[in-house]
Formats: sequence, C-alpha cells, structure tokens
Amino acid sequence: MRQVWVVLRREYIERVKTKGFIIATIAMPVLMIGLIGLSAFLSIQAERSERDLALVDLTGQLGETVAAGLEAVGYDVELVDSDVGLQEMDRRVTEDEIEAYVVLDDLTIQEGTFAYRGNEAPGRVRAALFENVVVETVLELRLSFAGNTAGLRELLAGGRLSFESLGEEQSEMERVSGIATGFAGAFLLYFTMLFYGAYVLRSVLDEKRNRVVEVVVSSISPWRLMLGKILGVGSMGLTQVGIWVGCAALIGLLGIPMIAANWPAVDVGELSQLMPGAGSLGLLLVFFLLGYFLYSSLFAAVGAMCSTEEEAQQAQFPVMMLLIIPFILQMTSIEGSGLPWMDWAALFPFFSPIMMYPRAVVGAVPWWMVATSMVLMAAALIGTAWVAGRIYRVGILMQGKRPTLRELVRWIKQA
Amino acid sequence: MTEHAVQLSGVTKRFGEHTAVADFDLQIPRGTILGLLGPNGSGKTTTIRMIMAILLPDRGTVELLGGSPDFARRNRVGYLPEERGVYEKMKVLEQLVFLGELRGMTRQIVRRRAMEWLERLGLEEWANKKVQQLSKGMQQKVQFIGTVLHDPDLLILDEPFSGLDPINQDVLESIVREQQDKGTTILFSTHLMDQAERLCERVCLISRSRKVLDGNLKELKRRERTGTIAIEFEGDDTWLARLGITNPQRVDDAYHIEAGRGVEPDRLLAVAVAERVMLRRFELLEPSLHEIFVRHAGQPDPEPALGVAGGVQ
Repeated sequence: MRQVWVVLRREYIERVKTKGFIIATIAMPVLMIGLIGLSAFLSIQAERSERDLALVDLTGQLGETVAAGLEAVGYDVELVDSDVGLQEMDRRVTEDEIEAYVVLDDLTIQEGTFAYRGNEAPGRVRAALFENVVVETVLELRLSFAGNTAGLRELLAGGRLSFESLGEEQSEMERVSGIATGFAGAFLLYFTMLFYGAYVLRSVLDEKRNRVVEVVVSSISPWRLMLGKILGVGSMGLTQVGIWVGCAALIGLLGIPMIAANWPAVDVGELSQLMPGAGSLGLLLVFFLLGYFLYSSLFAAVGAMCSTEEEAQQAQFPVMMLLIIPFILQMTSIEGSGLPWMDWAALFPFFSPIMMYPRAVVGAVPWWMVATSMVLMAAALIGTAWVAGRIYRVGILMQGKRPTLRELVRWIKQA
Repeated sequence: MTEHAVQLSGVTKRFGEHTAVADFDLQIPRGTILGLLGPNGSGKTTTIRMIMAILLPDRGTVELLGGSPDFARRNRVGYLPEERGVYEKMKVLEQLVFLGELRGMTRQIVRRRAMEWLERLGLEEWANKKVQQLSKGMQQKVQFIGTVLHDPDLLILDEPFSGLDPINQDVLESIVREQQDKGTTILFSTHLMDQAERLCERVCLISRSRKVLDGNLKELKRRERTGTIAIEFEGDDTWLARLGITNPQRVDDAYHIEAGRGVEPDRLLAVAVAERVMLRRFELLEPSLHEIFVRHAGQPDPEPALGVAGGVQ
C-alpha cells in the first residue's frame, strides 16, 4: 500500500503544481460567471434602445394606461395622436425617426392581439414585457365592464393549489432547486469524468512513451501502479471540484445577506432554498467516485493499448461515446425524468452517473432504483478494473502497433 | 545467502512464431561481474526482462537472489533498461526520491543518498532542474543514479555504455568496478567486446537466441588458446631460420609463430636464450573475445569497429 501511496502522491503533486491545473481551477468559475454575466449584459444592452418607440391607440381607451405600464418596466413610449395615420407612422420607421411603433385596436380589446411594426423583430424580453402590459391593461378594462373586479382578478390570476403536506414538505422552490442541482450535477459529472479520465489516459501514455514504465514496474506491480495513478488523478479532481464547490458556497453565503440588504423585495428564505442541500452534494460525491473510477480504469486501459497520441485519440472514441450518449439523453429530460424507458436506461452502469444522479435528486425515480444503480455501478467497476488491469499489465510494455480486438482478448485471458 | 545471484534453467521465450530465447541456462555466482554478450537481436534484452519478471518465460525457471523474482527481491536489484526513460517534467532530485521511495526507502535517506550521488557525478547544481533541461548524457547519469541509489545486491545494466562519451564511459566503468568491490553482483549486456574484456570476470555469449558458451573469461581464453607465439627482439631474425621457421608472420614489431611442427614454445625460448637474442617480448597469444565469439557462433558480429586487434597482454 505504501507503494500505491508513493505513486498517488507523485501523480497528485506533479499535476496540482502545473500551471494548467491552477489556470483551469481559476478559469472555470471565472468563465462560468463571465458567461452568465455577459449574456445578462447583452440582453440588457439589446433592450436599451437608442431610438424612440411610439404607440398609436385606435381604441382611445387603452393608450395612456399602456404607455404608463410600459414606462414602469423601462420603456419610454411616445403616445401618438391617432389622427397621424399609420402611413405616416410607417414612413417615420422607414426613415429611421423611430425604431418601431405599436398599434392598439379593437381586436386588442377583444383578443389581446396587437401589432408591433418595425424593421427588426422585438427581442424576446421586450415582446414578453409588451404583451404583459397590454394584456394586463385589457383585462383591467374588460373587468371593469363586469363589475366585481377584485374577485374576478383573483380567479383570472389562476386558481392556486395550496399543498397541505402529510409528509415531508417540498416547496416549489425546493423542486426548482432539485432540477437545477440535478442538471448542474449531471453537467459536472460529465465534464469531470471526461477530463479526469483523459488525464489518466495521458499519464499512462506518457509513462509508456518515455519508457519510465519499465523501471517502475520492476519495483511495483502494474495493478498497484494503475491504482495509484487513478487515485492520484482522482485526488486532484476532488481538490479542483472541492475548490469550485467551496467558492460557490462562499458566494452563496456572502451573497444572500447582500441581496437581502440591497433588495428588500426579494424573499431571502425562498432564495436560500435554491441552494443544493448537503444530501444532494453527498449523493454527487458518491456518483462522482463510482463514475470516475469506472471511466478512468477504461481510460487507463486505452492508454496502455496505445503508443502514440494519435492512436489514443482514435482508441478512446468508444469510451467517449459511453459518456456522450447519456449526456445527450439527459439533455432531453432536464426536468428530471423524460420518457419512461430512460429511467431504465439510467440503470446501465456507464450511464448511471449522468442519468441517475439528476433523477435521484429530483426524486423522479423510487429510491430502490437509485440504490440498484449504485450496486450495479460498483459491480461494473469491479469488472472493468479487472479487465483494465489485465490490459494495462500487458499493454504498458508493448511498443508498436495497437492490438487487434482478438489480441486484446488474449491479453485479458493471459494469466 | 545462496551461491548464485541469478539462476536460469531451461528458459525459453517465444513471441508468436519467433523464438527470442531458447533453452537458456545461466548461473551468476554472487559477487561476480558477468557480461552478457551478443549481437543486437540475439535475445539479451529478453533474457534480462525475464530475470526482472517483466516478461514471464514460456518454459523453464528463473531464480533471483535465491528465490522467485517477487517484488521484495526485485527491489534489491538495480535495473537499467535498454530503453532509457525518465519523467521529463519532474525535477531531478524529486525523480530520484520517487524511485527510491518506490523501492521502500524513506524520504530522508533517499534524499541524502541522491544528493551524494549527484555531487559525485557533478550534477548537484541540477538537482532542482527539470529533467528535460538536462543533456542526454546527463539524463543517462541521472538514470544510472536511480539504479544504484538503493544499494542493490545485484545490478542489471542493459547496454549501460551506449550513448555515453568516452569520459563518461570511464566514470561509469569506475563506478561499476567500485560496486563490484563492495560485493555487488553485476550483470551487464553489451555488444562491445573490448569493453567486456576490460570489465568482466565471466562472460556469457549468446547468438541467435541460444547460449554459445559461458564461463570465467581467463579460463575461457586459456582453453581457447590457438598456440600462436608472439616474440619481439633486437637484432636480425636469422636465428629463426636456423630453427626452420621461414617467412614468419609479422605483426608490427612482433613475429607470430605457429607452435607445433617441431617448434614448441619451450624449445623456441631455449634456442633464443642460447643464441643470446635480446628478447623484448615472449607471449603465448590468447584469442580476443571477438575471435572466440566468431569461432563459436560461426558468424561475424554485424556491429562494426569491434575489438579485432591482437591479443591481450
């Protein structure tokens, strides 16, 4: 075991102190936050129109309320006299005096439809806000015809199911949190298994290519060497993910009080429910460990089979497919559960990390399925480790061309 | 302590159709230095890999330091493979510490020893440099330190001198000798016969996967003696003619005379003394290792520039 530890420590230290590791560890969260920030910035930027907007009210009943409503959500809209005529308004648009204008007519009062005339279609945010304001105004108007405005408004706002829990309580926020955690978790599992698996492959390949391996295996059994390597890279992975999760938790812990202080309207209690619980983090760790060992032993075997980088690129394709297929399937079922057969597909050990984890977090599958998937993964792990260990043992000393499938089987059978 | 550091009996290794090593027997007594000689591709590296249990023989048994070659025994061996390899991105000292620790040494001891060796080979300033910054020759020295670092009972060096300049070859040779003086058994393979002649007590010649002959180098040479006498002297050579020797073969200043045909070495010497010839040299020539090899393997070594020059003095 001491030898495994020596290999593990070398692998860990040599990786953690590289620039690549430090950059990746810092860059990843920065990149994520940056991307979110950038897209938010761009959508705000797109909304901040330089040119003017106009509103033509042919009904004479909605205009002022709609203009006021639009102003409340940040749009300065000029209410144009309906005498101006639509042809004149179109001319203003074509000659770039205004960006676009909105026409409210009788159909608006009847069905809530209205025209937005301009050269470019409104952004999605703008369209939604405009629709909202117009519909609100029309509703208000129509309700006033019927009397008893308040009661009808309640009804129209939608009946509300109030959940009276007999068991453990799961609020809407908790449900959303589950979906988000499951999705983020599946994403994280996919990338970590892919990247750390590739690290293991590279490490095996490098050792084989620079011929150190012959000296090393004269002192340590190939099996222990492989174990030490996988554990070393895995420890590096846990360090990296740990840093990320730690940063996220810190941001959450510091961020929520800040939000509470600056935006009193936000319900902080609900917001903190969005944070993933310790349970789902613990589950993530279990799935990561099982999945990482499962895949990294496969990657180690691939590395041992190859002699060059190019060969490895090709040879790792089947393993990559095993990762990509569940990822794509999972994308179709972000809400936790997709088609029923996918729940069963999630039991396939190589699919389990990416597909079963989100289902477990959302509670889309019964607990026994989650437990079964873990048992199956552990069993598959023993199987792949056995096979990979045998391929590794023979492969690391082989130079030259990649083995055929039949040769591989012979390697595995060799005592 | 058994008598032999390495004992191979009937060892055979095949790779598909090709037999790399056939029915090989070898004993290396403890404390000796043995050269495993043969042309490239004759099975030297395969034999060494089987001794280190990196390859398993198809037939026959391998005993290492008195038992099966398990990891405990292998960790008392210093092994320098033919294919040189280093972790290029690691620092020199860290790499040596890693190798030492892998063989069960503690960090402090291995650090101290590694530094001693680096100083000895003039590499102490490179201890904290990455291996890839070193020249090929320096990398080879670092690797050699890796093999002797743990004070092994047996050194197995596969072509240790290839790729080294003459100065570093001498440094390495002196370290090998010094290790042997300490009682370490040494097995090294080479295709350079003259190097083997200088260093070895025992040799084992292999050709085309088979052992040709082995044994103590001196005994071997005595046994292989052909009966040529080399003499050098002052003055003219008319006295030779009187012995019935006409047209003796000249090699530089020396006359090479085939013994026999009435010219026995003792008679030749007696006549020389009686004739008051000023003798500078009188020697029963021994064949060079290369000549022995060619005689037994029946094929000249494909490697050029071998030790073809005359006998050893």
